Amino acid sequence: MSGHVPTSSAFKSNSQEALVNRNLQAALRGSRGNFIAKRAAARANVPEFDDIRDQARDMKNHVLANLDLYLEAYEKKVTEAGGHVHWAETAEDARRIVLDICRKSNAKTVNKGKTMISEECGINDHLAENGIKPVETDLGEYIIQLRGEIPSHIIAPAVHVTVPEIEEAFRKHHAHLPPDRDLSELASLQAEARSELRAKYFEAEVGITGANMLIAETGQSVIVTNEGNGDLSQSLPKVHIVMASLEKIVPTLEDSATLLRLLARSATGQEMSVYTTFSSGPKRSEDPDGPEEYHVVLLDNGRSNMIGTEFEEMLRCIRCGACMNHCPVYQSVGGHAYGWVYPGPMGAVLTPSLIGVEEGGQLPNASTFCGRCEAVCPMRIPLPKMMRSWREREFEKNLTPSATRYGLGVWAWAAQRPWAYRLAARIANRSLGITGKSKFSKLPLAGGWTKFRDFPAPQGGTFMDQWKAGKR
Amino acid sequence: MSARDTILARVRDAALARPEAATNREAQVAERMTVGPKGIIPHQGQATGPQKLRQFLEKLEANDTTVTRVSSEDEIAHAVARELRKRNLPAAIRMGEDPMFHAQDWGSLDVSRGPGRLEEPVTLSRAQFAIAETGTLVLTSGPDNPVTLTFLGETHFVVLRTEDLRSGFEDMWGDFRKRGLDPRTVNMVSGPSRSADIGQVLQLGAHGPVALHLFMVG
Ligand code: SF4
Repeated sequence: MSGHVPTSSAFKSNSQEALVNRNLQAALRGSRGNFIAKRAAARANVPEFDDIRDQARDMKNHVLANLDLYLEAYEKKVTEAGGHVHWAETAEDARRIVLDICRKSNAKTVNKGKTMISEECGINDHLAENGIKPVETDLGEYIIQLRGEIPSHIIAPAVHVTVPEIEEAFRKHHAHLPPDRDLSELASLQAEARSELRAKYFEAEVGITGANMLIAETGQSVIVTNEGNGDLSQSLPKVHIVMASLEKIVPTLEDSATLLRLLARSATGQEMSVYTTFSSGPKRSEDPDGPEEYHVVLLDNGRSNMIGTEFEEMLRCIRCGACMNHCPVYQSVGGHAYGWVYPGPMGAVLTPSLIGVEEGGQLPNASTFCGRCEAVCPMRIPLPKMMRSWREREFEKNLTPSATRYGLGVWAWAAQRPWAYRLAARIANRSLGITGKSKFSKLPLAGGWTKFRDFPAPQGGTFMDQWKAGKR
Repeated sequence: MSARDTILARVRDAALARPEAATNREAQVAERMTVGPKGIIPHQGQATGPQKLRQFLEKLEANDTTVTRVSSEDEIAHAVARELRKRNLPAAIRMGEDPMFHAQDWGSLDVSRGPGRLEEPVTLSRAQFAIAETGTLVLTSGPDNPVTLTFLGETHFVVLRTEDLRSGFEDMWGDFRKRGLDPRTVNMVSGPSRSADIGQVLQLGAHGPVALHLFMVG
């Protein structure tokens, strides 16, 4: 078992299914606009926001140019605090390390705070196959675990699930509760999940969390959550395992403040998430609570190969989710169509880097090149440019299904010249408007994937014109 | 070669292969690791005097933290008892060994001390600092304030000396280092717990407290 078996190469058929999935479309409609308006308001309240983005970009570039030195400094601090750093070259190595630690502590149950690295490594399946029960404690992750799914969004993992579907999952999996109980209110669903999970926090022998940052100055790992589940998962069991990828390093506590000023505002439009927790080592000798062991699994899994390449800038990503919240493709097909752990524009760039262009090479096609993702990315990652780089590579390798390859030469030329793309779009748009069709099913030069999608008939400018004008 | 050495070698080779690779990388990193503010501190993180306090109170309100202000530490027990009555909560509270709490006369309140348990209707902690920039409380774990009290209390009460309020992250971290603190966790708390995972509608009280109430002293 190699973790989640990617279906990214089937992006087109995945999208086709997503577009006719009524529940998914209802859920996407419900969330659309919410994130966008909140982020815009939060950003507008900080006049220095764009300067902070520049500073964050420069800081991360400096870290990546010296990552070996920072990793050594960080490791030294973790060790001094009594923690252990485990280096994992691949997802398989990470699975082995985590299972070893769990076995040594005789774990039967493992509580999970939200961690994308664990998803990337397929930790849950691996633990379950070896007789250890993983329990997701983030409410969204809990819901999708009950449904046997993977996250469809990096910060809102259950964004694709409707409220009636949540009620259905709770009735099925909480069968010990009275069947006639009232779950008609959102609050009663949340309260039920809270009380079901509360006891589980005390049962687990091991707690696994992710890390939003690793601080070289202090050897601390940092988690940022709104629910408090990550903190309960890491404070109550005997053993705390942090799963982090190696680019999560920042130099000092002040640098962590720079990223915190961007993270929540870009993600949910909050100024700060409710809980930001800095952890170092196991509990101190006099402490009445906290874990007795602290392990950090540092995952590479292809990232070190990105350094020094045209995809290096992707390693600045702080996983805020803004790019997918603002992406018209993601908002149309949802996260599962991307077929692996990371969806949206960041996933379209990262997936082929991590699991190979054979598997993930379709994803960079999932773009209208409208540029919204780059415009909102707090780390100023040039996502469209990198998606173009992947498309060109894929073309060179002849991996593209022939229908897509046909015309990609023209497409690439136009896509690198936004004016040409827009012009073509506008011409097509106008002619369709005149012929009075109510729908058009092709965007110029990108017919490959739009053939499954009826775009609404143009009304006042192109898709990109409207996005630019802030209409959604 | 160990996984560690392989990964580090790969990262180092990539770094050194850059045309613009610095010859003095070690010195640059050492310089960058010297602590203290270097970058942009937004206006919002630089408020002073009455404006700092005003902004802090506004931010607390925005993140759903409620506040009682008392003039001296002697009044804490009384204010806590009153708040419990006001909220129709039982006259019982769980706390750590913080000297500030030991110095109180809790009267008829049922006080217990230690880490959080499965059911904790009300818990009490003391914050080391707070940050006016975002309405954030900064707690440190240890016997004085066990970390689980911050997350297991259905209602969480926190005491803050107003003199421990800082403008932004930078001056807070500066003074944090000066106090020589080295806790297992530093917990920044900005309001009661919440989630929007059900129907994308924000609801308070996810896994942590449903309500957060601050007592500001002085
Ligand atoms: S690529 Fe940028 S916008 Fe997207 S998740 Fe990463 S940091 Fe956020």
